[in-house]
Amino acid sequence: MMPHLADGFTSPTFEYQLLAPMLIVFGGAIVGVLVEAFTPRGPRRTVQVALGLVTLVVAFVVLLAVTRPKLGDLAASGTVAIDGPAVFFQGTILVLALLSFLLFVERGVDSAGDAFTPSGATIPGSASERELVAARVSQTEVWPLALFSVGGMMLFVASNDLLTFFVALEVMSLPLYLLVGLARRRRLLSQEAALKYFLLGSFSSAFLLFGSAFLFGYSGSISFTGIYDSLSSGVGLDPLLLIGTGMVAIGLFFKVGAVPFHSWVPDVYQGAPTPVTAFMAAATKVAAFGAMLRIFYVALGDYDWNWRPMFWVVTILTIVVGSILAITQTDIKRMLAYSSVAQAGFILTGVTAASDSGLSSTMFYLVAYGFATIGAFALVTLVRDGTSEATHLSRWAGLGRRSPIIAAVLSLFLLSFAGIPLTSGFIGKFLVFEAAVNGGATPLVIVGAIFSAVAAFFYVRVIVLMYFSDPPDDAPSLALPGAATTLAVAVCAAGTVALGVVPGPVIDLAQEAAAFIR
Amino acid sequence: MNPIVPILFLGLLAFGFAAFSILAGSLSGPKRYSRVKLDAYECGIEPTPQPIGGGRFPVKYYLTAMLFILFDIEIVFLYPWAVAFDQLAIFGLIEMLLFILTLGVAYAYVWRRGGLEWD
Amino acid sequence: MIELLAATPQTSTGEAVAFWCLAPIAVGAAVMILLSRKAVHSALWMATTMIVLAVLFIMQGGIFLGVVQVVVYTGAVMMLFLFVLMLVGVDASDSFVETLRAQRVAGILLGAGFGVLLMAAVSRATFPEAVGVGAANDAAGGHVEAIAEAIFTRYVFTFEVVSIVLITAAVGAMALTHKERLTPRRPQPEQSVDRIRSAHPTPHPSPGVYAQHNAVDTPALLPDGTASEASVPDELRRQGTVRYTELEAANRRADEDGERE
Repeated sequence: MMPHLADGFTSPTFEYQLLAPMLIVFGGAIVGVLVEAFTPRGPRRTVQVALGLVTLVVAFVVLLAVTRPKLGDLAASGTVAIDGPAVFFQGTILVLALLSFLLFVERGVDSAGDAFTPSGATIPGSASERELVAARVSQTEVWPLALFSVGGMMLFVASNDLLTFFVALEVMSLPLYLLVGLARRRRLLSQEAALKYFLLGSFSSAFLLFGSAFLFGYSGSISFTGIYDSLSSGVGLDPLLLIGTGMVAIGLFFKVGAVPFHSWVPDVYQGAPTPVTAFMAAATKVAAFGAMLRIFYVALGDYDWNWRPMFWVVTILTIVVGSILAITQTDIKRMLAYSSVAQAGFILTGVTAASDSGLSSTMFYLVAYGFATIGAFALVTLVRDGTSEATHLSRWAGLGRRSPIIAAVLSLFLLSFAGIPLTSGFIGKFLVFEAAVNGGATPLVIVGAIFSAVAAFFYVRVIVLMYFSDPPDDAPSLALPGAATTLAVAVCAAGTVALGVVPGPVIDLAQEAAAFIR
Repeated sequence: MNPIVPILFLGLLAFGFAAFSILAGSLSGPKRYSRVKLDAYECGIEPTPQPIGGGRFPVKYYLTAMLFILFDIEIVFLYPWAVAFDQLAIFGLIEMLLFILTLGVAYAYVWRRGGLEWD
Repeated sequence: MIELLAATPQTSTGEAVAFWCLAPIAVGAAVMILLSRKAVHSALWMATTMIVLAVLFIMQGGIFLGVVQVVVYTGAVMMLFLFVLMLVGVDASDSFVETLRAQRVAGILLGAGFGVLLMAAVSRATFPEAVGVGAANDAAGGHVEAIAEAIFTRYVFTFEVVSIVLITAAVGAMALTHKERLTPRRPQPEQSVDRIRSAHPTPHPSPGVYAQHNAVDTPALLPDGTASEASVPDELRRQGTVRYTELEAANRRADEDGERE
């Protein structure tokens, strides 16, 4: 209990060491806004790119160097928990964000510049837009915005009370709503996607907030520890706990794109600038699952006999609906979106296990999924029709003959999604299924295994299309990726293979880290 | 007596007076509307073609409104700090300055990039 | 006063009366938000709900919360809502055509079901006796002091992170509404010099004034009977909303047809 003001004020202590990676990211973002204010237009983009990349690298180094010795402490008066899973997820988010930022940098694949509109304020197709395109202006605000989002994600996986949890959710989501609407090509689609994401996202935030109020009403505390402690004592208020748990789950299910809260995923993934799609699909999913694991394993840890049935239903729905709808897609971005819905279902299988192995397997799966996702979306930016990306699947026919490398690397990522041995996806699926069986969720694993086969069908269909069909007469052009995209794809491909062939170190790391503190 | 009660009472009185005035006016006055009477009180030619939907405002207003909300929220946080300023001592001052500085960055950005100019 | 509120853990008659007067207004206004066909009406109903909620907060002893509710929500956020309505056009109304059949029925049923579920849950819970906020306020030496204590001790990190949300909002609003100038604005002396040197130093001819049209979008007629393009603003011509006289419109159509052939 804190001493009260009336008894004389003692200033709270900050554990600056533990908060340092987050503070560096937020600080970098604020400096980025200052750069926007005071740097002339010419060098602005270069400064922002350098600042963004350096911030992420420094934050990652500091995370490795500083937090390790003091792992497992509460920070900032107990509102933030820097324990194993938090640091693991923060590191994953930083790496995935760095890879996505490399895609943000790319200016080589689109003749007009990077993937972002020169100015979000101009009307699509208007004279002023053309003028800005001709002047090669770029909307450099995307850099600080993306950094703010990364900081929010890092806080989201570490927040240890409902208030910080909600604030972190908003810090993470608000910049994403904006980034989605700033595509250079197909701007109306992009703006529509941003509006849909914003409306549905704020609706789900409202559910999460309402649920938090119920949890507070039940326990009289907003700290996760306090809620956990009250689980054994709150006689008579159980209905509040039940409703609160359900509504918080709705908010989080929305963020991870689980069925039936997935309807935004295809539209938003399709409309957003592809680098942003990669960033959202990988890093946001890690953050949302990290937060979900913390609230359900820490705050509601002894309540799993009540929330697990709900997770069962959602997991099965997510796997089934995601896999089946992915088969019917004709647009590669939409197909990858539905595939990410199905993947969310497989990850949920691990969460449902409600055990330490469930936690560590989910952590591993998220790393594997993140690499493959960023790599796959990076390749989508390379196949282009004139100026826009050629996203219709028929345009990808015969790609294997025209560009063996792109086709081979994409096949690798798709095989990883499908869970074929020697790729990271296989190890991930194996681990979550194993954890689920040990956690008594065998039926889930059976459904998961059957629909892995269904999912494999549509992944392999793309591969067959690339290698065994003739290219269309007006075949799309293949952009030569710049150094940044090449590096990102190479790292993703290397990660996917490495995690499939020698997964040991990362599995050990995840198992070592898989202990929440209360 | 609870000090809120007179305030509520006053509010009720004000509401009642407003409601009475509007009702009385609409009940007692004659209603003879004509096209000329409903015209804008201007002379000369109509200023612009009347667009569908009764006219739109430039989106620039939105920026102004948004900035107003930002600093409105800042003031909400300033209020409890100011009330407990003595007890919070130097720590509270530093934290508040940090908060204001962060928002100051937003202000500097909007200002330097011409968000406050009207043209 | 705070002591007074705190001294009555069980609902006093005054509070009960006020609650049962205000609660129906809040709920009724909230329902009207959904039922109003015009967006402005919805916004006003929303303001009503918010003000009533503020009064309820104050009745519960949350004076600061009540005031903030009025200042931020009823004042600032509602103002923003109305601004947005003006941006899209005050009279613009949604189309009520359902794109998915039976969506509205399903929505109403699910919404009602959710409401029933919530009410059932809350009514099934047995609440312990309310303690009121008095004790917490007293311990901190006052109502606002208690809030200051929470913000500046335990939640001070969260409080600082809130500034990140606000800065994001500023950057986002700029990114979506502010067009950057590529060339510096030209001062008035330069503009007037240019004007004198241009072919049109004098004002442009005024638009046409006719029996049926007298607005700036109607071009005046030149002595030969053709429309004077200079008499309507460039912007309208660009938008293609210039209204020609019937004769002129017919001539133009004939010209276009001639060009096509």
